[in-house]
Amino acid sequence: MAEPMKIRAKMEGEFADVKVLMSHPMETGQRKNEKGELVPVHFIQSVIASHNGKTVLDIQWSQAIARNPFLGFRVKGAKAGDKIAIDWTDTAGDKSSIETTVGA
Amino acid sequence: MRNPHAATRAAPAATIFLPDWLAALLMLALACPAPVAAEATPTSGKIAPLELQRSAAPGWQRQKVDSQGSSWPQTDWTGYSTVAAIATPGPNGPLHFETPVTGDAARGRQLAFDRARGGSCVACHVMGKDTPPQPGNVGPDLSTIGAMRDDAWLFNYVYDPRTQNANSIMPPWGAHRLFNVAEIRDIVAFLKTLKTPYHNSDPQDDPATRSPPRDTRDNLDPTENPAMFALDRGKELFDKPGAGGKSCASCHRAPESSFKIWAARMPRFEPRLKRVLGVEEFITRHARVTTGEELPMQGADNIALSVYLHNLANGETIQPDLSSTGARKAAQSGMALMQRKLGQLNMACIDCHTKERHAFKWARGQYLVESRGTVAHFPTWRTSRGDIWDIRKRFQWCNVSVRANDLPPDAREYGEIEMALATINKGEKINSPGIRH
Amino acid sequence: MKPLRRSVLKLFAASATLAAAGLLGARTAFAAVWNKVGFESKTGADALKSLGVANAAASKDIQITAPEIAENGAQVPVTVLSRIPNTQSISIVIDKNPFPLNSTFEFSNGADSYISTRVKMGQTSSIMALVKADGKFFTASKEVKVTIGGCGG
Repeated sequence: MAEPMKIRAKMEGEFADVKVLMSHPMETGQRKNEKGELVPVHFIQSVIASHNGKTVLDIQWSQAIARNPFLGFRVKGAKAGDKIAIDWTDTAGDKSSIETTVGA
Repeated sequence: MRNPHAATRAAPAATIFLPDWLAALLMLALACPAPVAAEATPTSGKIAPLELQRSAAPGWQRQKVDSQGSSWPQTDWTGYSTVAAIATPGPNGPLHFETPVTGDAARGRQLAFDRARGGSCVACHVMGKDTPPQPGNVGPDLSTIGAMRDDAWLFNYVYDPRTQNANSIMPPWGAHRLFNVAEIRDIVAFLKTLKTPYHNSDPQDDPATRSPPRDTRDNLDPTENPAMFALDRGKELFDKPGAGGKSCASCHRAPESSFKIWAARMPRFEPRLKRVLGVEEFITRHARVTTGEELPMQGADNIALSVYLHNLANGETIQPDLSSTGARKAAQSGMALMQRKLGQLNMACIDCHTKERHAFKWARGQYLVESRGTVAHFPTWRTSRGDIWDIRKRFQWCNVSVRANDLPPDAREYGEIEMALATINKGEKINSPGIRH
Repeated sequence: MKPLRRSVLKLFAASATLAAAGLLGARTAFAAVWNKVGFESKTGADALKSLGVANAAASKDIQITAPEIAENGAQVPVTVLSRIPNTQSISIVIDKNPFPLNSTFEFSNGADSYISTRVKMGQTSSIMALVKADGKFFTASKEVKVTIGGCGG
């Protein structure tokens, strides 16, 4: 099952203000498990944000983004009812996505 | 405690002249924990079935890693006091080491500033012009201590402050073997060099002028608090049939109303266990005999359900039921445990968390708060740990922070402390899941 | 909520997720190649080199919002706003982290040159925002102290 996400988009002046919280361990590869073995590096590498199907943000992340990553951004020219979507891909090739409608 | 609503609802069965067998059936139906349409409380005055024999955290051992994988202190502090047992106290009188104390001041300085050895002296003291960043102020400023005290006083106070001040919060560095005698001589040699008052041009670094942290986060904003994922999970689990085929929702059909105040009345004294029962242990024991699901304390599913049940009581004030002797005794025991000096660092809850002692001071960069205001947000997301903690996990962490062995989450002593804290926090509004550092 | 209505809502949620998943392939096709050299660089200077930065000018039109003292290093909120016209991307570089290059955000199709995230910091460090605008590079920095815990160990 894809990891859950939370998203909220609402109009603030001329922008759609978007906030996203993703569920992901963002393992740095430097942490040890109870057997003293290093836990393999595992983090979200790529996030694409799109507005009505067009990419507005193309993001590259490292393992130093906090566990359960937060992303906030703004889209100019958006209006209430528009679609905002988030797609991420992690180092294991897992993906997750969510879509929401911009609120007034 | 009887619920008045249950009595009112049961009354028609007896008064409207039904055939005996039908009345009996109706009574049975009402007594059964199954379908009750609009409950006023989860149990409508009936006694909740509980599994009473087994551990609520089977297989628990002192933790190596927490559920999200953050490391957990692994040292064994057997021999120092825990909330379950008192160990031998330190020496009763001055040690009278020969004076003057000679040592290596440079080495002493290094030891005094070493965070790996009990957090370093700087956790609680400003120490002259070379003080490292973010010193604390739980103890006095030692910048001129070298001009104020003689060698014997300094040695004995560092070795074991109880020789001169029975209530000191300071760890007995020598008596509890955090430093050996040679190391304490070096530390004393360093202390003797401290003769110049402290001056820090950065008001945010100086503990006397540093601003206390202000939290402006909205803990119920799902894009702010990762524990909100657990709230969703908890709702799902409530509806999900357990191993026995029934779900929580099979009996509790209107959780929004029937659990409106439930978590705000927890923990409670449970006569069948003869000790205090908190929300999380209740979940484990109740599920075993109702849905058949095994939900051990501090497992992710148990915490998710706890988040959900606490969240349903948001806005309700904490009102522990102290009407029974058992509950009052438990709260009293909890208060006494909060005064017990624990662990290698020899600190009690009240040392750091009452304003009569050291609350509202700085332990290095961390601001100490009072016990009131520390309960209503549990279970809570800890940003530093990347995990949701129930209140028992917080107790376990307090224990290992003062270098005392932690106990299983269903330990009687933790129940007593939870009851004491509920009493101290009476009237505070439940606001869960929380988010804290 | 009645159980029936709950399951209907669940079904609806499930189909919404499927619909979103259907769009996934089309949207991610444009993702930039992950900057392996930059993210594995051990110094801020090497990280900048990987991004093709030769001369970056300090700019007052870049605003970094971050706490002066972060409560811990596991989750430090950082917001960067660039008022430089034609901003194409923002990168975050945290000098004292083991791998200083933290993230790169590229803007297109009406995205405002503003991002907000939470980063990990091993210790007190400067946080640098590197902005690319009209092919040129600009920077701004802010010092963030990471709270040192009391009990250590």
